[in-house]
Amino acid sequence: MIPVRYNVRNLRVRWMTTLMTVIGTALVVAASVLTLSLIAGIDHALRISGHELDLIALRKGSTDEISSGLEQKVAREVSSLPGIARDAAGQPLCSVEFVTILTKPRRNNQGTTNIIVRGLEPVGRSLRPDFKITEGRDLNPGLNEAITSRQMAERFENLRLGEKLEINKRDFTVVGYFEASGSSAESEVWTDLKDVTLARATPEVATTVNLRAQDMDARKTLIDALENDKRFLMSAVTEIDYFKEQLSASYALWVIGIIIASFLIVGASFAASNTMFAAVASRSREIGTLRALGFDRRAILISFLLESVILCSLGGVLGCICVLPFSGFSTGTANWQQFSEITFSARLSPLVLSAGILLAVGMGLFGGLLPAIRAVGMNIITALRER
Amino acid sequence: MSSGLPSSDPIVEVINVSKEFRRDQNSIPVLNNVNLQLFRGDYLSLMGPSGSGKTTLLNLLAGLDRPTSGKVLVCGEDLGVLSEGALAKWRSRHVGFIFQLYNLIPVLTAFENVELPLTLTSLSRKERKEHVTTALEVVGLADRMDHFPRQLSGGQEQRVAIARAIVTDPTLLVADEPTGDLDAKSAGEILDLMQRLNSDFQKTIVMVTHDPNAAARAKRTVHLEKGVLVAEPTSVSHSK
Repeated sequence: MIPVRYNVRNLRVRWMTTLMTVIGTALVVAASVLTLSLIAGIDHALRISGHELDLIALRKGSTDEISSGLEQKVAREVSSLPGIARDAAGQPLCSVEFVTILTKPRRNNQGTTNIIVRGLEPVGRSLRPDFKITEGRDLNPGLNEAITSRQMAERFENLRLGEKLEINKRDFTVVGYFEASGSSAESEVWTDLKDVTLARATPEVATTVNLRAQDMDARKTLIDALENDKRFLMSAVTEIDYFKEQLSASYALWVIGIIIASFLIVGASFAASNTMFAAVASRSREIGTLRALGFDRRAILISFLLESVILCSLGGVLGCICVLPFSGFSTGTANWQQFSEITFSARLSPLVLSAGILLAVGMGLFGGLLPAIRAVGMNIITALRER
Repeated sequence: MSSGLPSSDPIVEVINVSKEFRRDQNSIPVLNNVNLQLFRGDYLSLMGPSGSGKTTLLNLLAGLDRPTSGKVLVCGEDLGVLSEGALAKWRSRHVGFIFQLYNLIPVLTAFENVELPLTLTSLSRKERKEHVTTALEVVGLADRMDHFPRQLSGGQEQRVAIARAIVTDPTLLVADEPTGDLDAKSAGEILDLMQRLNSDFQKTIVMVTHDPNAAARAKRTVHLEKGVLVAEPTSVSHSK
């Protein structure tokens, strides 16, 4: 095998073309990694939201919380069903909730969008993954107080600590920020069930019952009871299935991201190919010499492919480094199931960064293949005559 | 540095070799029924006008090309029947190349250039280092092993190329106009070195040259005219 230092030093000698190609590849990798990290972010937000034992009960025929409507009295009876898990205090993990959407302005004059406001009782917190207050305090029922996530506060007007969110001309004061493992709960504003239903002038209405089964068998029994017991006649789905439906938002982002990334990748591969063609053309005599010395076609092919891969990998590493500051950067996308916005953070996980490097290696292989084949196809004697 | 062959057997046999090149529909004969033998320790110069087929014959001897008809046998092995991969391997074992333009790899140091053919062998790094150092000492450039080709004079570059050619102890050294790009002084030094390789180390050398002074350093000279071997002096002197 031809020593790798031969390739590395050649890249260094042609440092200007190497630099240009590296920067081009880095930009493409950065764009692709950022897209992938956002997809991973939304994917995480929706996947982490679903606990395998948790159920969401809605009005029969409803597929989402916004279009659901339940009598609060009936909804509260759900907690008496057998098979519901209980918290340390022995209370059933069953939360009657009311969800409404409000059209609110984004910060920095970026238009308006729908946000989800959820009214719930304290037990609802136990049904969200690792719920914790990170700043301020939890809300007190009856005082028209609200809590939300820091990402929401930074994206929307009137959601910072101390600011007031208007719901049907009633001001709800934001008193705290919470986290829930990056789940979809972090895309919501929470308030007390009674406070929000009163503000909405629908005091007897709920939209959802969230509950946790004791085990998988109990989960099945609960679904049967909620769907078939004449007292309830609800639609009951597992949280995992519910959020799987909502993943369609991430699929759209995924498709758009992949299409854009594909165009960029093909473009960058051609740039790498161009650089490598120039390298092969200027090193014909070296190639002839190496062949004369006894390096076979395969060694030449591997050497030039390797050079192309090194070239693009440098771009890959640079691209990944460039996007590191975007880790945790939060944004939102439409959740078409609920006509609202899901807020999520870019997740620059090792998997996403590895995908970026892999992409760069792929670009190197793809871009280097034709030049390497040209190098291999050279006639030794003709190549040796090149000046 | 020895091939270990009995000196009485020819190490290179060119038997009725013809070579034609095709251009469009035309066939251009370059070598016509050439016969030649080389023995261990031979130092042969190939002379002739441009286009007479000297370099083509050299390329055939070095396994860079194949004859249209006839056979080239080196150490009894018919080069015409070897696959391209086998021929590449064969070249790495049996042939050392000295080119007119030295053909050193510009991004590698003198040491690394000389080491290059050894990377195709199973020698350890330590053994390779010993071989490279010895080869550079033979050509008198042990003190320049860390220099890149651009830091060397033309004569020094050609000496590094010679070190690269001898480092694997090949059966045959082929040189195509080895002094063609050098000034008279450097050319003389290179010819001295090649003569020493032949006399002190019994290296078998075939050299293409236009220069009668260079040819005079060889033990024998053959002339090619229009692809035909026209004259071989009777004073053949080889270590038979």
